[in-house]
Amino acid sequence: MTNSNNYEALYRQALLIRRVEEEIIRLYPSDKVQSPVHLSIGQEAVAVGLCSLLKPEDRMFATYRSHAFYLAKGGDLNAMMAELFGKVDGCCGGKGGSMHLAYPQVGFMGTSAVVASGIPNAVGNAYANKILGKSDLTLSVFGDGATEEGVYHESLNFASLHQLPIIFICENNQFAVHTRLQARQSYAIREHVQSYGIDTFHIKEGYDFCAVQTQFAQMLESYRENPRPLFIEIDTCRYMEHVGPGEDFYGGYRDESEQAEWRANDPLLTDLQTYEALLPAVNQLIENSVAFAEASPFPTITDLYQDVY
Amino acid sequence: MTEVVTYREALAESMHNALERNDNSVIFGQGVDDFKGTFGTTLGLAEKFGAQRVQDVPIIEEGITGICMGAAMNGLRPIHVHIRADFLFLALNQVLNMAAKYKYMFAGHHEVPIFIRAVVGRSWGQGAQHSQSPQSLLSHFPGLKVIMPSSSQSILESYDYLLNDYHSPVVSLEHRLMYDLNFDVDRAGLRKGEQSLASYVARQGSDITIVATSIMVLEALRAAKHLEAFGIQCEVIDLHCTSDITEEVVLASVEKTGRLLVADTSWLKFGTCAEVARLVCENIPHRLKAPMKSVGMVPTPCPTAKALEDLYYPNLQTLVSDILEVLGESSSSIQLPDEKSMADVYKKFRGPF
Repeated sequence: MTNSNNYEALYRQALLIRRVEEEIIRLYPSDKVQSPVHLSIGQEAVAVGLCSLLKPEDRMFATYRSHAFYLAKGGDLNAMMAELFGKVDGCCGGKGGSMHLAYPQVGFMGTSAVVASGIPNAVGNAYANKILGKSDLTLSVFGDGATEEGVYHESLNFASLHQLPIIFICENNQFAVHTRLQARQSYAIREHVQSYGIDTFHIKEGYDFCAVQTQFAQMLESYRENPRPLFIEIDTCRYMEHVGPGEDFYGGYRDESEQAEWRANDPLLTDLQTYEALLPAVNQLIENSVAFAEASPFPTITDLYQDVY
Repeated sequence: MTEVVTYREALAESMHNALERNDNSVIFGQGVDDFKGTFGTTLGLAEKFGAQRVQDVPIIEEGITGICMGAAMNGLRPIHVHIRADFLFLALNQVLNMAAKYKYMFAGHHEVPIFIRAVVGRSWGQGAQHSQSPQSLLSHFPGLKVIMPSSSQSILESYDYLLNDYHSPVVSLEHRLMYDLNFDVDRAGLRKGEQSLASYVARQGSDITIVATSIMVLEALRAAKHLEAFGIQCEVIDLHCTSDITEEVVLASVEKTGRLLVADTSWLKFGTCAEVARLVCENIPHRLKAPMKSVGMVPTPCPTAKALEDLYYPNLQTLVSDILEVLGESSSSIQLPDEKSMADVYKKFRGPF
């Protein structure tokens, strides 16, 4: 793939994610999506850059803010839209919704709405890979808030103790709901991780999918030379409110100016030529997915009782 | 043809068979590979099956439970042992929010075959945090199977099914006081498949139904034996799988006897007793000839001092007295057993743990 082709492919993926979420915002007042949504707008490049280097066999465990990772990892858009609409053709038959997307066919294993709780699941997946002799990657994705949870520390300890083949991805958007990192953490995230003997990396350009891809490629080289726990912190910026379809500058806890630098570097906001060129095809996909979701039936009482045990 | 097998031996055999029958079975837990081997139930397994498959773990109850889940989603069949059920409380996020829900929340994409063993302590000063029996809490949540084996037979049959042919999360509440008790095992009569989880009639009788769990099944059988001498026939039902009570077994018995007492290893409020009462009241309230009674621990945390502990737990005397009350029999005409400490009867268990 040439550089320009690569750029365009990544751009298309990031644009798709943003436009999907903008469509969710547009649809939200219609009440067709009746569940909380934690939008990834502003954070798309992290998912796009990382997932561009993953195979479907590589498994990812993520969080309630995972529309971006679901799509970037190869999850089906129609199935995601139907899931948000609560329809039977949703990726989880309507039982999961926005906070519980899964598409294991492409290694997108699932998402939890309880902060940090998916991290040990990823570690367990890596443990099984190790003892079963599988070489697929395991990725655990979480936010900066998750690093405050006890089970995060338990997971790092176990992963390091057994030198498990796992990559921890910390998306640091500086906020847990409405609370700044400085008000929550007495430690520096990577320094603390290093105390477990785990190698850490830092990607500062979380707005740039190419930069994320290039740097992640180098880290993967290091990983493949010696499969072991790696920890990557990626700086990013959540443009929208913690949960819901809007912005929340009215809340007074952060200022629009804080996002100015991120937005100034955001290819989706700055490279309008590519944006315009790719937009019609992307919009068509989204339109199709909404039509698919609309047409899919609602689940019934038979579905209600299925898959409990 | 029966043979004598202790509760501990049945557990050890089940653990051994799980590893032998399935190369992907693994056992995690604090001390599973040490010189005590989880009260002797995992002794020698690390040596035979390898350290990787029988593994001591850091003290990270929630973490290991989540790790077991992830491993289960990737081909392993983990068994996780808590030497006291109280420690399982640290892992409830993974058990209740994750394991119990993964299959449903993700519409059947994932099966999570994890088997959690948790040992309920009693007597010899176990105190407030080494004695709790969380069956009602755990059985409340759809997605979990909760069993309370009351005999070696029950262990052998239900563990064989759950560790080989069942693919969703299980919690087994084992009772520490029973570990050294001898039980008759009829290997030819071992129940198979789902049937191994069913509630069953442990003793037939016509005058009163006693529904019991875990070691209270043994207590109910002892009470039944005492009362038999006075012409009273107690029917004893072992609930066994508290999350999936075999309703027809309980209802058929109460239809027959018209009288009910429930004996559980935990507190009464919102508990197993309340659940059995719900079952009877919703289905056959008119069949009760007298008010039912519930027997369990008094509504306090468990005290450590033996003098208090003996007041905290039910004993054979109070159990028989309660049965007579349901029957409307005067205890002046029927002799009560002179036994006020159940722990003394099962005193093969002495400390420290």
